[in-house]
Amino acid sequence: MRRLAALAAVALLAASCGDDDDGAGSDLDGITVFAAASLTEVFQEIAPNARFNFAGSDELATQIREGAPVDVYAAASPRHPDELFEEGLLEEPRIFATNRLVLIVPADNPAGIESVEDLAADGVKLVVGAEGVPVGDYTRAVLENMGMTGVLDNVASNEEDVKGVVGKITSGAADAGFVYATDATAAGDDVEAIELPEAAQAAVQYPIAVVAGSENAGAAQGFVDLVLGENGREALATAGFALP
Amino acid sequence: MRRAFDVAFAFAAGLALAFLLLPVLALFVRIAPGDLFDALWSDVALDALWVSLKTGLIAHFFVLLVGTPAAYFLATRRFRGRGVLITLVELPLVLPPAVAGIALLALFSRRGLLGQELYALGIQIPLTQVAVVIAVAFVAAPFYVRQAIASFETLDQALIDASRTLGASPARTFWRIALPLSATGLGAGSALAWARGTGEFGATIMFAGSLQGLTQTMPLAIYAQLDLDPDIAIAIGALLVLVSLTVLLSVKLLPSWTRFTSTSLIRSAPSGSS
Repeated sequence: MRRLAALAAVALLAASCGDDDDGAGSDLDGITVFAAASLTEVFQEIAPNARFNFAGSDELATQIREGAPVDVYAAASPRHPDELFEEGLLEEPRIFATNRLVLIVPADNPAGIESVEDLAADGVKLVVGAEGVPVGDYTRAVLENMGMTGVLDNVASNEEDVKGVVGKITSGAADAGFVYATDATAAGDDVEAIELPEAAQAAVQYPIAVVAGSENAGAAQGFVDLVLGENGREALATAGFALP
Repeated sequence: MRRAFDVAFAFAAGLALAFLLLPVLALFVRIAPGDLFDALWSDVALDALWVSLKTGLIAHFFVLLVGTPAAYFLATRRFRGRGVLITLVELPLVLPPAVAGIALLALFSRRGLLGQELYALGIQIPLTQVAVVIAVAFVAAPFYVRQAIASFETLDQALIDASRTLGASPARTFWRIALPLSATGLGAGSALAWARGTGEFGATIMFAGSLQGLTQTMPLAIYAQLDLDPDIAIAIGALLVLVSLTVLLSVKLLPSWTRFTSTSLIRSAPSGSS
């Protein structure tokens, strides 16, 4: 009985929190989208009315496994969507965009970084994504390709998503960081981007899929279609993503 | 009528208790005790424990060293603006941790208020262990100072006066009378500050970053391990629950424990002066 009442109270709380004005605006109003942090700007432009949770793709995957109420998952790497698909927690993912890594430095470039080689100098404060976070894994792959993993000795912080890396650069806490090209664009004049050798680039792919058992499967599919469609592609291209 | 009242209020109490304790309980149910110890022996967990202990102890040392005389000064002197000053000291108490983080960056980063001078001298504080100590001290200090001020304020002024008229210097009076008599309050404040410092997350991750063995404290390790190895995250979480419980119990039990020593002091001091 007590247990029942507690559940009722929680349900009431949940209901009052999820109180949206249904009907008004597009049918994407009610859906919740979990998306990689690097999609923050472009997804909000594609669907301003959807509810978003932007974070590291790995963290979002953990939350989906824990049963978070979510309708769409878009990640910065196929790893977690593929795993979730195999576990039956996600419908079949489709790649909707690709990206590339760049090295960013603060606009005034205090450490005088011009290339990845400069990162090896004593006292350089490098910030990267943590292992397991897509941007962190891509960063390590690129450095591996370049034979430059030694610069990781200068890592001053492992961030849990790409926006954490950007923040450490724009706030002037660190000297350089590896992020996606689109994040460098979004950060504007605060940072300067240094391109990496084409041959060393990692294949950064963004899959998207409806979460299995979504209560708004129709609207969720609508969002996926929107991202894969003309409007989505245009917005993605403008933000600097490459299209598959 | 009275019975309905009792039932309703008892129900509310039960609900509140369940709401506050169930999540903590769930943490311990999630992992077998054996796995918990294995997870705690992992490099990540041990490094985090070491970083938390080291930065916590250093921060706490400075909080006590500077906070105690500062609190004594604020508690015993009367001057204009004293109330405002005490309120300002308490500001970090209610400041959101993220604000503390960005504020510390605004002060110490390369383009920061002090940072410009410090960087010119070759002193870089953000993303170092020093930054962790500063973040922890910043958020924890008010818990101690506030409690210390309250303790010093309730000191019996007659005892201080007696000590002074008997020829003890202000310093000796502080050491031999004020400090021992306030020990209970200072201990409680110290424990609360330690608890808050150990739990520090927001300001640390923004200002000090997260690097295993250097700046990754226990709360940061929980966040980092959540998706890599949840067992480690849960194990560190469980350990922090025990630490918190110890702090809480020591704050609750400290008064009854020190009452014996402090009452004997209170009794002996007046009899000595009469």
